[in-house]
Amino acid sequence: MNWIRGSWAVLQKDVQLEMRSRYALNMLLMFVLSSLLLIAFAIGQESVSERMQSALLWIVILFSASIGLGRSFVAEEERGTVLLLQLNVPGSQVFTGKLVFNFLLLLAVDLVSLVVFALLLNMVIESWWLLVLSLVLGSVGLAGATTLLAAIIARASNKGPLLPVLLFPLLIPLLLSVVRASRAALEGGLGFSGASGDLQTIALFSGVVITAAVLLFDYVWQD
Amino acid sequence: MDNTPPVVNVRRYTVIRNIILVWVTVVLFAAFLLNIPKINILEHTARNLYFHVPMWFTMMAAVFVSAYHSFQVLRSGDLVRDIRALQAARVGAFFGILGLVTGIVWSKFTWYVGTDVWWNFDPRQSMVSLQLLIYGAYFVLRGALDDPSKRARIAAVYNLFAATTTPFLLYVIPRQMESLHPGAEGNPAFSEITHPIMRLVFYPAIIGFIGLFWVMYTQRVRTALLKYRVTHDPEL
Amino acid sequence: MALSPFIAQEVAQEAQDQATQATAYDSVWAGDAVPTQALSGMEQVMLSNDKLYVVLAVVLIIWIGIVILLLRNDNRLKSVERTMEERGTSFDDGL
Repeated sequence: MNWIRGSWAVLQKDVQLEMRSRYALNMLLMFVLSSLLLIAFAIGQESVSERMQSALLWIVILFSASIGLGRSFVAEEERGTVLLLQLNVPGSQVFTGKLVFNFLLLLAVDLVSLVVFALLLNMVIESWWLLVLSLVLGSVGLAGATTLLAAIIARASNKGPLLPVLLFPLLIPLLLSVVRASRAALEGGLGFSGASGDLQTIALFSGVVITAAVLLFDYVWQD
Repeated sequence: MDNTPPVVNVRRYTVIRNIILVWVTVVLFAAFLLNIPKINILEHTARNLYFHVPMWFTMMAAVFVSAYHSFQVLRSGDLVRDIRALQAARVGAFFGILGLVTGIVWSKFTWYVGTDVWWNFDPRQSMVSLQLLIYGAYFVLRGALDDPSKRARIAAVYNLFAATTTPFLLYVIPRQMESLHPGAEGNPAFSEITHPIMRLVFYPAIIGFIGLFWVMYTQRVRTALLKYRVTHDPEL
Repeated sequence: MALSPFIAQEVAQEAQDQATQATAYDSVWAGDAVPTQALSGMEQVMLSNDKLYVVLAVVLIIWIGIVILLLRNDNRLKSVERTMEERGTSFDDGL
């Protein structure tokens, strides 16, 4: 119970701070919107295959995650609240709170990019539940990897564009299976059996990544 | 890879180095002098089995050594472990590049004769290039951290984190791409295309190249230790 | 191509099953279906002598790689030696 209360407190703090300034949320949404518009203008009237649609969708989500979520620990350093957190809350609770917060941000990104993308590219979605499931499961794994790496780059002296460099090579397995699952959802006709292998991979990947991240987080967080 | 001695045992190193050098020389002779059965597309290039494939095995061994020492960094905070993890990664990346380039040359002049295909999306080729990307990110991350002990710890975290995600590639990528490698879908299994006499050279070649990795890695660890003792900077 | 007696024996056995020119280790590969064009000059060289030069190229690449790594190691060692000379060779860290 204590563990949940601590994580909840961290999450609540982050959400309240976010609601006050809306900096991360606005930045993420603007990034998603502008990159989607760019893609739509670049493609023009051309009809895009289902494979390309799901690939583009996930690339936008991946890039916005790597740009927007890197701030979660850097912001703590800038505000000078790291020591306070280190003293009052155990590392695993800080990690869980941040993870859930990042996951919520990613869900917002998923929602906006899906809706805008569907309108701009005339996406036809054959199986809604499969698409939603792959987006949610994929976001869990994405949030897990990004949260640990955000803690890592908060320790680096040269923060700049480090997060995408560290993040992308790790996420290739996730990206490949998630693109396949969303493609199956767009094409339809496969049903559950066609995509279940990919969904299992995504779920397993997310589980392993989050477990490893929880185990490793203390080494990054402690001084 | 025992736990106690922080410094390299030079006498043991010299003995193993001499054995390895003789060993690799013998393997080289055997690779060219022993006759092998003629295989249609492969012809003499089947001999590349002795050179190209051990690169991949050697890189895997290096990845394991590097991850093991990263784990020890987290356990003990010993900077010597950090030196070992970094040098294993550097030499491993070097063997990965060799495996990638030799694979490209082999496939270009064997399966893709008369085409402009240099890069094919073979699963193993993709996996090696991803492992190289990860090590590239690992080296970049090290450059962004100033304090040596903090750098050791955080780089070790990244190295281990990467090591937990890469096994998924073994499962995910082969389902996406066509392969030229034996054992993949539509291709004969390894045992079907290798004559016993090829295996007689192949396994010693793997041992020889892993030994060569060990020699180079130990050389670099020795240099890095020397530098660390003089400048207190473990980076090499 | 000359085969050693050991191989020849086995090959002869296998050849009874499939009366073709190729040996039992011959097979179909995924890359077979790739469309081809006329051979370029470099390919003609590489494919002569039963593609032996492909093996030569691979061995040379590995050898050149090893040479490069050795030279780099040498440079690192040289720079360490230089710093040692500049600072004197006292080790003060108790390692």
